[in-house]
Order: sequence, then C-alpha cells, then structure tokens
Amino acid sequence: MSKPNNPAELVARYLQAVRFWLPKEQQGDIIAELSEDLRSQIDERETELGRTLNQGEVEDLLRQRGRPVLVANRYLPQQYLIGPVLFPIYRFVLKVVALGYLVPSILVWACFMLFDASYRAEHARAGWASAIVSAWGGLWSIAFLAVGTVTIVFAVLERAQARSGFLENWDPRKLPAVRDSNQIPRSGSVIEVVVNQAFCIWWATSMSSNVVLDRPHVRIVLSPHWRYFFWGFLFLAIANIVLAAVNLVRPYWTGPRAAFRLACDAAGAVLFCWLLKASILAELTVTATSSARTIEITNAINLWMARSFPIAVIIGVVIAAVDAHRIFRVTTRRNRLNQDVAASVV
Amino acid sequence: MANGTKHGAAHNPEVIENLKLELRRGCLIVAVLAQLRTEQYGYTLRKALAEDGLAIDEGTLYPLLRRLETQGLLVSEWREEDKRNKRFYRLSPTGEQVLNQLLTEWRSINASLGKILQEA
Repeated sequence: MSKPNNPAELVARYLQAVRFWLPKEQQGDIIAELSEDLRSQIDERETELGRTLNQGEVEDLLRQRGRPVLVANRYLPQQYLIGPVLFPIYRFVLKVVALGYLVPSILVWACFMLFDASYRAEHARAGWASAIVSAWGGLWSIAFLAVGTVTIVFAVLERAQARSGFLENWDPRKLPAVRDSNQIPRSGSVIEVVVNQAFCIWWATSMSSNVVLDRPHVRIVLSPHWRYFFWGFLFLAIANIVLAAVNLVRPYWTGPRAAFRLACDAAGAVLFCWLLKASILAELTVTATSSARTIEITNAINLWMARSFPIAVIIGVVIAAVDAHRIFRVTTRRNRLNQDVAASVV
Repeated sequence: MANGTKHGAAHNPEVIENLKLELRRGCLIVAVLAQLRTEQYGYTLRKALAEDGLAIDEGTLYPLLRRLETQGLLVSEWREEDKRNKRFYRLSPTGEQVLNQLLTEWRSINASLGKILQEA
C-alpha cells in the first residue's frame, strides 16, 4: 500500500475511509461536514503556529479523532444481534447448553477411554495425545453448532420481542415461589415410599433365586454371584424406604440424612456397576433355539452390559456429586441467609 | 468485599470517567440547544462549548446535532462563509419549547439535589 505524499492526501484518505462505513444516502452530507470541521481545526492550528502543519502533525490530529470505522459508527443507529434485555437469558441458555451437553460429552468420552479397552484400542492407536486432539475437534464442531443455533434463535427472538414487546407485559403474581432447595417435597417422599415398597415385594418374591425364569420353553439362570446383588439391592431399597419415611415426617434436609442419602446412592451405584461387569447371565435356554445360538446370545448380553459400564459410572458420579452438593448446601448457612433477606424485604 | 469494591471504584479512573460521562450526557443536550439559540456551525459551536467549560469531541457533537435535527429540535442549512461551505444550525420553534421544558426539569433536579446534599 502506497504511503500518502502530503497532509491533504492523508486527510482525503481518512475521509474516504470514514465514507466507506456510512449509509449511502448520508455519505455526502456527513463527509462534507466532517471535512469542513477538519479544515477548520487545521486552519486554527496553523494560525496559532504561524505555519502550515506537517504530515506528522496532521497524522496526530487524525489519530486523535479515532479510527474511521469508529467515527462512522457514531453516526449510525445502535444495533444489536442480541440486545441488553435478552442477553442475560442468552447467557443462561448457553451455560445450560455447556453444562447439559458439553460436560456430559467430555465425561462420557473420558469414561470410555478409561474403562473400555476396545474403545481405547480403536481411538488411541496413535497415542493418547492424538485421541484427545481428535475428540476435541469433534467436540468443538458440535459446540460451535450448538452455540450458533442458540445465537440464531436469540437473534430472531430479539427482533420478534422488539416488535411484540412481550417482555413488557408480565404479571408479578406469576413469578415462581421462593425456592428453598433444602425443603423435601412430601409428594416426592410418598412416591419414594410406595415405589420402593412395590420394588421390595417384587424383588423378594421374584428375584430371590438365581433361576429367575423357569418356564417350559425358556429358562434364565444367573451366576451364583447373584445372591450378593439380591441382598444388596433389597437392603438398599429398605434403607431408601426408611429415609423417605423420615423425610415425610420431617421434610427438611439435615446433614446426617443428606449423608445417608449419599451413602445409599453411592452403594447402589457401586453395586450396579459391579453387576454390569459380573457377566451375570449364566445360562439361557430356549427350546426352539440351538444351544450354540443361546450361548452366543448370553455372551452378547454380558458383553453389552459390560460395555455400558462407563455410562453407569458417569451416572453414578453425577448422582454422588448432586448428593455431595446437597450436604454442602445443608451445612452452609448461605441458603438460610437468602431466605432471611427475602423475609426482611417483605 | 463491599469495602474493596468501594475502594477500587474510587481509584479506578475509568469508572470515574464513565460516571462523569453519564452525568454530562443529558446536560450536553441542554447546552447544545441553549447555544444554538444563536445560529452557529459545528466547529464554532464546539469551541463555544469548550470555552464555557463543556468540551465535546466532534465524534459526539455531529451525530448529536443530526439526531436533534431529525427530532425537529434544530434546523440547518449549508451556506458559504469565508469562501467555504459550512452547515449552520439553529434552534427550531419546537426546539425552543423543548429547551424551556428541559431547563425547568434541570432546575427541578438541581433543587432536589441541593436539598439532598444539604440534608446529608
């Protein structure tokens, strides 16, 4: 790019650059006025100094006025892709997308890499670094797609709400009730008691033996380890009934009860993960099917159960994290302070 | 935490500048309208405001003049002066009425602030 030869050319270049960013119908008028203002400023400075300004001094003057795009921007109406009204909601939705999609995706990938040998062998042939780079690339393209979609939806909403004004029409009575996350809904406790009782009855009557199905045409036999799982799940269901019953009477989380819930859920997750890896299906007999075929089906079921192990680990970790967070919430006073603030306002 | 924030704001020139800018924004419109009771072109208006202690950069003044003209508060015309074409602005009849209303509002705010500061 050629350099300007004199101050006049420098000013002409500046005005041309500003003109580029202006709306066509206003270009001539704005540039004429801006040009006159610049000339007036240069004239005044030259009168003060008693000489013409050199190129460096004109450069300083233009630099002081600002980058052409910014100067032009001040003449334009303010425009937003997503305006200040919708922006907090947009940011919240992006966080939900990140937490609801990206974090679980990373966890699932990490668990498969750690616990599934065949997956690891397939994806980490060229080493862990290349596996991470490849997974990262895939994740980013989907993340961009998700963020792009949310942004487009909000850009459309921005235009729609500017016309409809639906954000202005709202009813304070429809705001959600003040949330007390340490309160245990009684309906939830009732459901928990009923469901766990039904489970215990069915479990004790139908699943106590490792021969879970013995009909004329079909016979399903589980491995001898089944007795550990039977007693383990039964014990956990009874523990959950006890906890739900106490919660029904005293519907507010306390530290010991939150810790008990964590212990139950952690034990359930460990037991379930172990079940998936235990090759629990020992024998499958179907009269119309050859024994070679039923062995094949048995092995396939056991294999797919083992392959589900990483997903079970993730679910178990998430449940334990939620339970651990509950203990933290119950033992800190922050929640109570928030309620006090709300009460003091009223 | 509250003390830290207060301390930070008091020593952060950017925060102070932004607050001053917000405070001046409304006053500048009143000042421009008041100055244009006498016809002037952009550069002399800018100098007059600066001499009276309300310096305003050209990037703010010219878009503001355009906006006020679009709102019907100013009228402008291109005229030759000293062999140069210049755009002269003056207050329109509507602008005069609006200026009077704004001055009433400004005096009322000023009086309220004075009262609040006296009470404090």
